Formats: sequence, C-alpha cells, structure tokens
Amino acid sequence: MTSNSDNSMDEKPYKTTLTRRESLKWLGLLSAAVAVPAVISLSGGKTVAETGKAHWPKLSLPQVTGKGYGKDPNLIVPPEAPWPLTLEQQELNTIAVLSDIIVPREGNVPSASEVKVPDVVNEWVSAPYARQQADRLEVLSLVVWLEDEAKLRYDAGFRAITNMERLSIIDDIAYKKAYYTEEYSKPAEAFSRLRSLVLSAFFCTSEGTKDIGYMGNVPIAGDYPGPTKEAMQHLNGLLDQLGLSLSIA
Amino acid sequence: MNDFDYEVIVVGSGAGGAMAAYTLTKKGHKVLMLEAGRDYDPKKESPMFKRNGEAPLMGAGNVDKDFGFYDATVDGGWTVPNEPYTKAEGTEFYWWRARMLGGRTNHWGRYSLRFSEHDFKGKSRDGLGADWPIEYKDIASWYDKTEEIVGICGVNTGLDDMPDASEGILQPPPKPRVPELLVAAAAKKLGIPAVPMRRAVLTRAKDQRAACFYATPCGHGCSIGAAFQTTTSLIPMAKKTGRLQVVTDAMVKEVNVDDRGKVTAVTYIDKKTKEAHTLQARVIILAASACESARILLNSKSERHPNGLANSSGQVGRNLMDSTGVNLGAMIPGLQGRPKYNEDGHTANHLFIPWWGHKMQEKGELDFPRGYHFEIGSGFHQPGAGVSGDLDGYGKSLKDIAKRAYGSYVGLSLRGEMLPNEHSYMEIDEEVKDAWGIPVAKFHWKWSEHELKQVEHGLNTAKAILEAMGAKFTDSLPKAEDAISKGGEIIHEVGSTRMGDSPEDSVTNQWGQTWDCENLFVMDAGVFASNPHKNCTLTIMTLAMRNSSWLAEQLKQGVL
Repeated sequence: MTSNSDNSMDEKPYKTTLTRRESLKWLGLLSAAVAVPAVISLSGGKTVAETGKAHWPKLSLPQVTGKGYGKDPNLIVPPEAPWPLTLEQQELNTIAVLSDIIVPREGNVPSASEVKVPDVVNEWVSAPYARQQADRLEVLSLVVWLEDEAKLRYDAGFRAITNMERLSIIDDIAYKKAYYTEEYSKPAEAFSRLRSLVLSAFFCTSEGTKDIGYMGNVPIAGDYPGPTKEAMQHLNGLLDQLGLSLSIA
Repeated sequence: MNDFDYEVIVVGSGAGGAMAAYTLTKKGHKVLMLEAGRDYDPKKESPMFKRNGEAPLMGAGNVDKDFGFYDATVDGGWTVPNEPYTKAEGTEFYWWRARMLGGRTNHWGRYSLRFSEHDFKGKSRDGLGADWPIEYKDIASWYDKTEEIVGICGVNTGLDDMPDASEGILQPPPKPRVPELLVAAAAKKLGIPAVPMRRAVLTRAKDQRAACFYATPCGHGCSIGAAFQTTTSLIPMAKKTGRLQVVTDAMVKEVNVDDRGKVTAVTYIDKKTKEAHTLQARVIILAASACESARILLNSKSERHPNGLANSSGQVGRNLMDSTGVNLGAMIPGLQGRPKYNEDGHTANHLFIPWWGHKMQEKGELDFPRGYHFEIGSGFHQPGAGVSGDLDGYGKSLKDIAKRAYGSYVGLSLRGEMLPNEHSYMEIDEEVKDAWGIPVAKFHWKWSEHELKQVEHGLNTAKAILEAMGAKFTDSLPKAEDAISKGGEIIHEVGSTRMGDSPEDSVTNQWGQTWDCENLFVMDAGVFASNPHKNCTLTIMTLAMRNSSWLAEQLKQGVL
C-alpha cells in the first residue's frame, strides 16, 4: 500500500489502515474473484486455501468470429492477416510493456516490442483455435488483473505507474514461488503463459533466432559437415565426465 | 481418357500406387491412376527455407494443420473436410489421411528399414499373429531394386535386425550430431547399439533429383527431390513413359463386378462436380491406404459378394495394426550451453537404436514377444512456438535460462511392433456417410498386454540410457497403459487386407492378388501380415514393385 494519499475520508478511507482484503472489497474486486477456486491444486501437489486475499477477473469474452486458414493454405506466401485482430489499443499497450519486461533490449539485441512481438501475441490470441482462445482468456485476464493490482497498490493503472512500480508487481508473479501463494497463483500462471509466448515470438524473429544461436536453415553444398571441432571437444569432455566412450557402427 | 486405352486402374498415388504405376508403365502397360485429392507439385508448393516466424502462429499446429503450418499435408491430417470416420464407444483411434497427389509420401518421415527374416515369420517363432506367405530371401532383391530407385542413405551394419543391402545400393549417411553421439555412447554402456538411420533422402544426386542440401524439414515437402516423395520421382517418371494418366479429385466409391462376380470397373465421385463415373479396366489395383482400400472393398457389396468384395474370409478390415509409440525425454545437464553449430542435417535422425533383443527373445529372457526401435529427438532446432527450459522470472536471467537449455533436451521415441488382436479392426458405419455419399469407416481399438509390456520395457530402457547421459528423473515413470500412443497415432496402420497362404484366413495371396477375384489386387499396407517395428513405407513400395512385376508377367502371358 502506498501512503501518499491525500484523499479525504469521505471519498476513500485512509488506505494504510486497510487490510488487503478490505481494499479488495472497496475496489469491488473481491466480488469478481470467482475464478479462484476454494482450493487451488498445484502441480507440486501443494494446495492453497482461499482466504479472500486474491482477486482475479472473470471475463466473458465475445467469441472470435474469424475462420482459420483452412486445410490447404498457401505455404509459399503465408496469409499475412489470416483472421481479424482482437486486442484493443490499450491491451496492446500493456502487452508491449510486458513484452519488454520479459525481453528487454540487451546491448545490440533488440527488445521484444522493437521486433513486433506484441503483433504476434495479438495474432495468437485472436486466432480461432481452441488453444489460442484458452490463451486469450489467460492473457486478457492478466491485463485486467495488472490494472486492478496497480490501482490497489498505487492508485493508478498499470500503464500509468512507473517502471519500478510495475516491476514490484511483476516480481510477485514472475517466479515459481508465486504459484504457491493464494494472491498470485492465478496471475502467475497467466504470466507464465504470456512469458512463453513472448519468448517464442522473440526467438522466431531474425534477431531472436540469431540471439539463441540457431545456425541452420542455410543450404550446404556437399556433405553435411557435422559437429565443429569445438562441439566435439565439448562432447569428449562430457563423455569423460560421464565415463562413456564413443563407437558407432 | 476416351482415347487412352489403359489396361490397369490404380487407386491411389502414394507409396504403393505410384510404385505399381511406375513398374507397370515401365513394362509397357498403360495405367490410369485415380487420386482422391487434388493435384500437387512439390517443386512449386514446398515452403523451402521458410522460417516459423513467417507463418501464422509461428508455424504451430492446430486442427487445420495438425503437424504445423508448413507440413506438406493437403486437405488432410487427423480430419479431412467432408470425410468423417467414427469410432466404437470406448475406442480412441486417429486416422491420418492426405488428399493430394502423392498422398502421405509428401510428408512421411522417410525412415526406411528393411524387414528382416524375423519379421516375416513371427508366428513360426512365438505362435502369435500370422506368418507372411514370403520370407526375407524372397524379397531381398526387391528391396535392392526399390532402394536403388528411391535412394536410401545409410550403412550396412551387419546387425540381425537390419539386413544388409547389396553392394553399391546405399548412399553415404550424414555425420552424426553431438546429442546422437552421446546417446550412442550411453547406449553402448548398456550393451545396446546405435547406428546410422536408413532414410529415403539422397545424399548423392539421382535421376532428376538433387542431393540434400541439409536445410528445410522434409515434412514440408522437398522441391529439389532429395527427400523421396512419389510426386518428384515415381509419378513423373511413369508419366514420362507416356503410359500413365492421372485423374485427381476422384474419390473411389466402389469396385464393380459383373453377374458372375468378376471385377469389371471402379466407380468414383468427381469431387468437383459430385458426379459419379464408372471406368472399366482389365485389372484393378487398390492402393488407397490400408483403411481406405478396406473401406472400398467393404462398400463393394453385390449378390456374389454380400459381405463386401474379396471378403469371403471375413478378414477385410480385421487385423488392423499400428506401431506402438511412447516418448521419454529429459534435459541433459552436460548439454546445456554447449557450442553451437548447424544441426539441421537431413532434418531427422542421423543415428537411431535398432532392435537389439532378438537373441534375448529367443532365449525367453523378455516378457514380450516383439521388438521396437528408438528414434532420437534432439538438436538445435529452428525456433518455433515453444521455448525449452525451466523458465522463471523475466529479462536477461530468463533469456539466459532459455539459451542455456537450447539444444540440451534429448527424447527417445519408441516405435514397436503390435500384434493383431480381435478387438482392433475397422468396419463400415452404416449410419454415417461422407459428403460423397460413401458410408464411412468405423474403428475399434485395444492394445494387448504384449504391447503394454513392450512399452514398459522401452520406458525403463529409455530412462536408463538418459540417466547414463546424466539426466536426473525425479518423477516415477508413467504406466504403460497411460503412456502408450493412441491407435493410429503413429500413422503406420496396416493389416486390414492381409496376405497369406490360404483363402480361409487371408484376403490376398503373396502377390497382393485377392483370393476371390483374380483381377483385383491390393498394393498398400493393408496386405501386411504383421506390423514389424520398422516404418512401413519402404516395404509397401518393395511389395508393390515385386507384385506389379508379377502382375505384368501375368498380363504378358494372357493369364489375366
């Protein structure tokens, strides 16, 4: 909670005295917390009982109406806009902010938004296929949750707060420990899904492909050269370490 | 067609149909080929050098393109528009089809392993399933001839599971990659050999086809013809004789007979006009795929053949088999952050693990009767819609996790032999018709203890190999019945019109000639009497070449 509020008690109570639960109620978020089950089962086998500290939006999204690209699309010139894009500008802005938190610029390597990753996310969540529609609900719920959480903590929307403030929220949902907390398990799962999507989209760009070190997709004249000397030296070291030796028929 | 005086109609343009057409046209016979899908030209349509990032959804698969955007399959996959199939209650079965010239040879894995002497005579050895009416030595020279035309890279290993090709047949295999060498070293410690895979990919130019340039997954189709598909080889070569004509969008509905029950013609639906056409022919060869050919036969009912054509044995649709499949993978710590290089190679296994257990089975040391092999999944793949690694956090530390994990996962995929059983078969669903008015196939499926025990053995062996490579497993292995692939999922369905020594319990003789109708042949995987763990396409082509050569001799002698 921030303590910089100068609002009168008439409009909003003195916030530092509020528990998180009371703030959630005040903001009307708790009533929307229906998506959090009473007991959340986690992959590690642990469970968290709900005590009303969590909020998670229950979105009812309109069905996407676009069609898929069908069973015989042109593979040489792939469709550039296979279905209508569905993200609103504000949502796209949040995705761009998140994309650059997930993949920031590193020296000469561009950030995710610099190589148009948010467009790929938009295409992905707008696609009329089951997997993508499930992701759409996750991603848009996360966008709403971040907005709510930012208001709760900083009295302003996620895009309006400082980068430090944003990271203080992301730090609570970006690490595995978050899966085991009641407040953050849902946004953490959604963030994890978006993280994979953003990272994939980034590595799929020419710049990202170079960054991860993929060196294929180039024609080779003559025989396949096989591993480099350096790669073989590494392998031989590993074999020694594991007590193994090579022999191929 | 009016002025094209063909003798033989071939239904299907995939591995069996194209080889039959090629063989017959080369021997001077005129052939009309019917293909249910559209015309397809890999030279113009293969997405060579395309990056996943250029495709919708980063190339990820979905109901439209099950194996990813760039997969060569046209109008097919696990579902085909307007052509449903049904499953009995409690049955899980997947039927992969393609509706395109060349059929499934446009996207297949190209693994080309000869069946061995064990494979043809399994029943003689362990009393299970059925023997083939031929043995390895009957077919060895036909493997040579087929491999010569198809172009197979690999080596003679001398292993009992991998019969040698004759001198000069095989092309050199590509060098193994680092993770494959590590698998080989780990397997060796357990007394298990790993050897170069045999694959229908040219490493030396042949005919009009170029040698592999080691880029672009073969499953996308190969515009240079290095990866074998009938559309860049057998079909154009047969057309060049002037004795092959092809009709596409021709969905065969039934085989017609005269009053005496003799086969006279086929009836197909032109998918563009929805009109039915009947074409007479002296000989008809079904090579529409194991289940599609069986469907045609079962739908060809007449007074003389009330249970469907060539089905006096009641075996049409029975003995349906797929390969068993299970995958076990792990991150190999020692491969994390390893030096990068181009690992595309011919885009599939350079090394694999053939079945090493024939001797153990002879001695009764194993609790399952038939073998399997392991394919190796590994490498620095082109990025796509998924990132490996134990991802956590964000920013540079996150990227570093992904970059270190890149190329550090190794998976072992078991592909094993299934035995036929009475619960696994297909029939016609009289309640459901496709858009062309043709009653559809209905599948029944169950694995038996033989397959489950084999898969259990495979999971334990894969774990031992991966552990020898440094992998750590914290979870226990899944149960075989949970981990085994669903029926049809490995896309090796065979046996539905099996060959045999007797009309009592088989549909065709060793030549693929149906016992009931002398001028009706089956030349797809339906004729397999068993389903060895080795991928079926090479043997489909080899049998089609052998059997259409025999057919040509019969035509020449006026027997047919």
